[in-house]
Amino acid sequence: MAIGVKVMKRPDRETSYVRAALKGMALTFKHMFQPKVTMQYPEERSTADDRGSYSVAPRWRGTHRMLADEQGRSKCVACGLCPQICPANCIKLVPGEDEEGNRYPLIYEIDEFRCVFCGYCQEVCPEEAIHVGVHFENAEYSRDRFVYDLERLTSQTHSVSTLWDPADPRGQ
Amino acid sequence: MSDLVNVTIDGVAVAVPKGTTIIEAAKQAGVLVPHYCYHPSLPSPAVCRMCLVDVEKAPKLLPACVTTVAEGNVINVNNEKSKKARESVLEFLLINHPLDCPICDQAGECELQDYVFQEGRANTRYGDYAKRFNPVEDFGPDVLYVANRCILCTRCVRFMESVADEPVLNVSERGDRAFIGIDPDHLLTHPWSGNVVDLCPVGSLISKDFLHKARAWDLDKTASICPGCTQGCNTMIDTRDDIVVRLRPRANLEVNRHFICDTGRADYRWMNRGDRIEAPLVREGGKLIPTDWDHALARLAELTRGARSIVILASGRASTESLGFVRRLADHGTVTAAVKVPLGTEAPLAGVPNLALRKERAPNLDGARLAGYAATWAGALAAAPGADLVLVLDADIDDAEAATLARARSAVVIGTVDDDRIHCANLLLPTTNMAEENGTYVNRDGRVQRYYQAKAAPGMARPAWWIAAEAGHLATGASAPKTAAAAFATLSSSMPGLGGLTYADLGHTGRVVSPATTGAAR
Repeated sequence: MAIGVKVMKRPDRETSYVRAALKGMALTFKHMFQPKVTMQYPEERSTADDRGSYSVAPRWRGTHRMLADEQGRSKCVACGLCPQICPANCIKLVPGEDEEGNRYPLIYEIDEFRCVFCGYCQEVCPEEAIHVGVHFENAEYSRDRFVYDLERLTSQTHSVSTLWDPADPRGQ
Repeated sequence: MSDLVNVTIDGVAVAVPKGTTIIEAAKQAGVLVPHYCYHPSLPSPAVCRMCLVDVEKAPKLLPACVTTVAEGNVINVNNEKSKKARESVLEFLLINHPLDCPICDQAGECELQDYVFQEGRANTRYGDYAKRFNPVEDFGPDVLYVANRCILCTRCVRFMESVADEPVLNVSERGDRAFIGIDPDHLLTHPWSGNVVDLCPVGSLISKDFLHKARAWDLDKTASICPGCTQGCNTMIDTRDDIVVRLRPRANLEVNRHFICDTGRADYRWMNRGDRIEAPLVREGGKLIPTDWDHALARLAELTRGARSIVILASGRASTESLGFVRRLADHGTVTAAVKVPLGTEAPLAGVPNLALRKERAPNLDGARLAGYAATWAGALAAAPGADLVLVLDADIDDAEAATLARARSAVVIGTVDDDRIHCANLLLPTTNMAEENGTYVNRDGRVQRYYQAKAAPGMARPAWWIAAEAGHLATGASAPKTAAAAFATLSSSMPGLGGLTYADLGHTGRVVSPATTGAAR
C-alpha cells in the first residue's frame, strides 16, 4: 500500500537560512566590542585582589597543608584521630616523643592519590594542625612525589580551606 | 532463703546475698553505677563520690560502693537526683583536669572521658581560672605519674598498701593541691606494681613501655593466658596491625583477680619476632631445602613410623593440644618425653591468696604432665643420642643441647624461631607461637584455660597439633582434627586427666580438671 505524503507549501520567508545566519553573525560581532571575560590561565593567574571573580572558592578542598607553631614546628601532636577518621585510609602516622617529652609525629605521610578530599581530617583535628588547602596545581613528574611527608606538608604556603562559611555555618 | 535481700534497682528487681553493696547488686541488675575509687579487688574508701545514688526513704544520696543493700530498698541510679550529683562531681573533677586527651595514652579507654561524655556538663563554668600544674614524675621502671590528670581516686595507693603490701604511695598535700606522692627513697619496684597503670581510671599513671605506642581505638583485643609461669594468669593481648603492643590482665577471680605481674606484662616481644622459620625445610644432600607441607608431612610420617625409640624435647609454652598430638605421634615405640622448664624466683602478691609469679616459668607444665611428658629434661637429653628419633617441639636449645642434638640419629624440629643451633635437624617444620594459635594451658591448679589467636602466623607456619595430627594420619591412618576445638575434644576423650571437656565447657575462665596433680610432684 502506497503511503500518501502531504507536501507542505511554506513561504520562503520562513524557510530561508539567510535571516538566521545574519542574526547569529550580529551577535558575534556585538561580542567583539564587549569586555573580555576569559582569563588566560596559566599565563595569567588570579590574585588575592580579584577574589570573587576568578579565584578558587575559599571552601575548596585541595591538597593538604600542615600548620606550624611560632617555632616553625608542626602543630600536630600525633593524636591519631585523622588516620582513624580518614575514609580512604591515606594517612600514615607514627607517634613519638621529643627531647622535652612532647608527643609529636615521627612519621606523618598523606598519600594524595588515595585521598578523596573529604576534609574530615581537618574537621576532626583537635589542634587545628592538618588542613585541606585551597590549591589545585599538583602536577608532578613521578608518582611517589604524591606521598606528602611532614616536611612537605608543613612547607606548603597556599591558603587553607574554611570548610564552611563562617557567616553561614549551616550552609543556608 | 533469709540470707537473700530483695531490692529494686532502676525498676529491675533482684535478690542478692545479704551484705552485698549497692554497686555489686546493680551489676547483677544490669545497671552500671559510674565510679572511680571503687574496684572489686580493692578496699572501698568512698572518696570519689561518683557512685552516689538515690535510695528511696534515705535522707541523702548514698555511696553505692560501701552501702550494703537492705530488704525492700528501691534504688535509682539514673534518676534526676543521682544524675545531677554525678554531673556536679564531674564538673569538679574537670576544674583542674587538663584538656590533653589528644596526647593522653588513656584516651579512648578513660573512664573520665567516658562519663563526662555520657553525663557531664556541655561547657565549663571555670574558664577564667588557671588550672593547677604539677610536673610529670617518674614513679619507677615502667610507671610515669602525670599529676595534672590525677583525679585522686587513690586506687594506686590502696593497691600498693593493701594488695602489694608495700605502702610507698600516699596522697600528699590537701584540697586542690593534693597529688599522689611517693616515698622519696623508693620507686615502684615491686614485681606487681605495674598494675597501678591498669587500675588508674584516667591517664595519670601510664606505662613507659606503652607510651605513645598506639591509641586505644587502634587496638585489637584478644583473650589469652600469660605464658610466663605456671600460675596461668588471664591476660588480654592487645595488637595493632598484627603486632603485639601490650599485655594486660583479664579478670578471673579464681586465678589472678584483676592483676598480672610486671614480668608477664613486659614479656611479649618474642611474640613479634621476625626471624621465624616460614617454610618447611627438608635435609636433602646435606642441605636444608624449602618444601611444601605435603612433602614435609610425608617425611615426618616416614621418620616417626621407622623409629622404635623416640625422645621428645618440648617447650613448656606448647599448648596441651600440641603436646598431646606430638606425644601421640610416638605412641608406637618407647618414648622419653620432657618439657623444658626455665626457673626463676618466686614473687607472690601478698593481698591475693595463691597468686604469685611462680618459679617454674612454663605455662603448661601440668598440661605436659597430663599428656605424658614424664621424663626430666636432663634425662630426656641424655637419652637423645641413643634414640632413633629426636622430636623437638619449639624448645629453646642452647649450645650444649645443640651438640647433643647433632649426635642424634635423626632429629625433627617443630619450631618457631630460625636459629643456627637447630640447623642440624633432618626436618625443620614452622609452627605458630602461642599468640598465633588457639589452644589451652593447664595451670598449676589443674585449671584448663583457653587462649585465642591474636595475630596472623608468618609464612606457612601451622599449629604443632595440626602438623603432628596430619603426620599421624599419614603414618597410621588415624583421623586428623581440623580445628583446635576438635583437637582438644579428641585429646580429652582419650586422656583421662582432661575429663572429657570441650572448648564450650571451658568458657572464658577455664575449668579445674585435675586437682589431684597439684603440688604432688613439687
